[in-house]
Amino acid sequence: MTAATDMMTGPAAPAIRKTPKGTFDIVFRNASFIAALMVLVLLAGIMLSMIIGGWPAFREFGLGFVTSSVWDTQNDQYGAWPAIVGTLSTALIALVIGVPLSLGIAVYLTQLAPAWFKQPVSTAIELLAAVPSIIYGMWGLFVFVPLFAAYVQIPLSNIVEGLPIVGTVLYSRSPSGLGILTAGFILAFMIVPFIASITRDMLEQIPSVLRESAYGIGATTWEVVRHVLVPQAGVSIIGAIMLGLGRALGETMAVTFVVGNANRLSASIMDPGSTIASRIANEFNEAMGLQMNALIALGCILFFVTFVVLVIARILVSRVKSY
Amino acid sequence: MSMTTPSTVRALPHAEWGRVRQSRRTADRMMRLTAAGFTFIAIFVLFWILGMLIVKGIGGLSVATFTQITPGPGSEGGGLANAIVGSIVLTFLGIVVATPVGVLAGTYLAEYGKTSKLANLIRFINDILLSAPSILIGLFVYVILVEPFRGYSGWAGGVALGIIAIPVIVRTTEDMLRLVPGPLREAGAALGAPPSVVITSITWRAAKSGMVTGILLALARIAGETAPLIFTALNNNFWFSPTLAGGVSNLPVTIYQFASAPYENWQQLAWAGSLIITMSILLLSLIARRIVRGSK
Amino acid sequence: MLSTLELSPQTLDADAPVRIAVKNLDFYYGEHKALKSINLDFRDRHVTALIGPSGCGKSTLLRIFNRIYSLYPEQRATGEVMLDGRNVISNEVDVNELRSRIGMVFQKPTPFPMSIYDNVAFGIRLYEKPPKSELDDRVEGALRRSALWDEVKDKLKSSGMGLSGGQQQRLCIARTIAQKPEVILFDEPTSALDPISTGKVEDLLEQLKSDFTIVIVTHNMQQAARISQYTAFMYLGEVIEFAPTNTIFMNPHKKQTQDYVTGRFG
Repeated sequence: MTAATDMMTGPAAPAIRKTPKGTFDIVFRNASFIAALMVLVLLAGIMLSMIIGGWPAFREFGLGFVTSSVWDTQNDQYGAWPAIVGTLSTALIALVIGVPLSLGIAVYLTQLAPAWFKQPVSTAIELLAAVPSIIYGMWGLFVFVPLFAAYVQIPLSNIVEGLPIVGTVLYSRSPSGLGILTAGFILAFMIVPFIASITRDMLEQIPSVLRESAYGIGATTWEVVRHVLVPQAGVSIIGAIMLGLGRALGETMAVTFVVGNANRLSASIMDPGSTIASRIANEFNEAMGLQMNALIALGCILFFVTFVVLVIARILVSRVKSY
Repeated sequence: MSMTTPSTVRALPHAEWGRVRQSRRTADRMMRLTAAGFTFIAIFVLFWILGMLIVKGIGGLSVATFTQITPGPGSEGGGLANAIVGSIVLTFLGIVVATPVGVLAGTYLAEYGKTSKLANLIRFINDILLSAPSILIGLFVYVILVEPFRGYSGWAGGVALGIIAIPVIVRTTEDMLRLVPGPLREAGAALGAPPSVVITSITWRAAKSGMVTGILLALARIAGETAPLIFTALNNNFWFSPTLAGGVSNLPVTIYQFASAPYENWQQLAWAGSLIITMSILLLSLIARRIVRGSK
Repeated sequence: MLSTLELSPQTLDADAPVRIAVKNLDFYYGEHKALKSINLDFRDRHVTALIGPSGCGKSTLLRIFNRIYSLYPEQRATGEVMLDGRNVISNEVDVNELRSRIGMVFQKPTPFPMSIYDNVAFGIRLYEKPPKSELDDRVEGALRRSALWDEVKDKLKSSGMGLSGGQQQRLCIARTIAQKPEVILFDEPTSALDPISTGKVEDLLEQLKSDFTIVIVTHNMQQAARISQYTAFMYLGEVIEFAPTNTIFMNPHKKQTQDYVTGRFG
């Protein structure tokens, strides 16, 4: 070979090469480690601040804070029961309405929609998730509520009046359109995009051989979905639903607009009520002293309820895929 | 699933075949209709909301909306200039807080921690934070930043939004880094580049568009957040102080306060603000999605 | 099979110094022992081919020399791999310095997400801070040596990912030689390429062996026969036979080697 190519290397070992940027390597590694620990610190911080901030209220009322229905700012008496019931019932209504919608959408997107239509529909569903909570509140309060009062509450109240059970649960004393059921309705549309897109991903992950072999023995689309795809996705769909539940429990602004913000408990889902989040949002800026502690204590209850729901949701969802 | 037995098929081939297939077909058709109907309902709601915003909001849009500040109770006219600028400042602050933490934490999970117990725990907790109610994050920041310093501030608002954005960025960063093929990292290491250099100049670069998407999605997520701001940045009807001390005006809380107020100009501004904020957020989401699709 | 092998008249310097000496090397994937007491000498400025059926450990062995395996915590090696008087698998050798001395080209092309120029300059910049003009010369030199210069000289600033597969692989070779390593490891460098690109890369290997010690893992026996001077046949984590390439292909001592090179198994 020529001298020129000889320059490329020598047979002898070249001069000692120093490791570049050794300190940067250590700094970078530690910085990313600390950033990752921040995630743990944040969760611990939220938990601690809720417990500490709510402690005076828990100490004052004990277990009665959870079971009492009194919320009296004049006499500084606080009980969380109506807000807890409101939170759970709005979330439950949201699931009852939202889950069938979500599953229908997921099935449509994965099995039925023509190829050219899939992308725009998926995008539309995802945009529904991007619409801010407060806009759902505006839509609920100014568009949905008047329609709901005129075409559902009033006629329905006339029908069920005096009947046993439904006469209580569905009767509205003041058909304003506001109430627990309305809040559940709005929440349903807010959780649909989340449940639908996770379920869609789950269904898409199922190996196509399984689908094809089910079609291969002559099953209809409905039979493939019901007997093969849904059982296969199984618990992860429940996980997706739990994730939606987690959102419904903590949703604030939209609910605050339409739930009616009543402090007392009513047996009718047509009547105004309140949720933990709506109560906090409503009263926080005027709250002082023990009322403030009581509101943070409400936050503490919300934290632990959603925490448990989300932990279960993540465990179920991660059986198929970490989402 | 109902199946015909071979003997009945042989006995009454036509009638038996037809009847079974008919009921299965009906079930199938009903399911198809229901699924398509549900999808239609969801899309209808989206367009209903957008239509409502345009119909009610467009009348409130004028030059004054962008140049004048929010009006006081009972005063005429006014605009949203201070609220729009405040929202941009708060959102920007949130992203500035969240991006370094989120990107580094996502990098730790994908490149260093991988499947270690600690990394799995962090990943799990991050997923919980991802769906944690934003109102709790507002309360948390109130307890640590507002109460001790005796006052609402833009800084507290920015930090609250940042905390909401962090899990989104952690998640997308990790996902995007994991898509980078292993041999690319090996090739970098094989040249003698230490891990930090491989990550910053090869892996990050390969995952760049996905990571940017994550940040944009986080931006879209926090831009419309209202609940956490009620406890932190609050709002005010004037230009906020450049030090961000005291309340900082912002669109979501302005909408919340103006929407059901008894003044007509307030309501009009609430609708205009809703239109502005929703369109900005939907546009951001669309851009983010376009980037992801473009890089695939 | 034997008759179709074209054995090029390889010049083989039996007195050439040993560049890498492997002694009693064991390797583990977790609990699984993947390599069992490997002993091999790699001679300076010669091409040594590692052949054997899939899973025999040839790629594993290659990945020990630059300790690329240490990216994965569950993998470990014990024994000696001596390079320039040091055991490179011990912690006394800085792993990054080691890798700058031992370059590696992978099975699939791995262009970095940056321009063609920056791809080649990347490795140089890690260890040296040459002035711009010298850096330009080094990049050009490396691209010329890897027979890529004429194809890319007008688009040095465009992305390396935009090149064809064969060009990408030659870019990776340019990136490796720009760092002036002593040894270059090739891990099935042509298995993802079409025949024409394969030919170009093989020509390149032929050129490079006058300056670098080359170790190549290949599944393609004609390739091993064409370009190497020494060949090690491995099977189930052990070296069955190590000899000059002519011997391995024309006159193997072991039955297993003969069976493999004549295509009876593997």
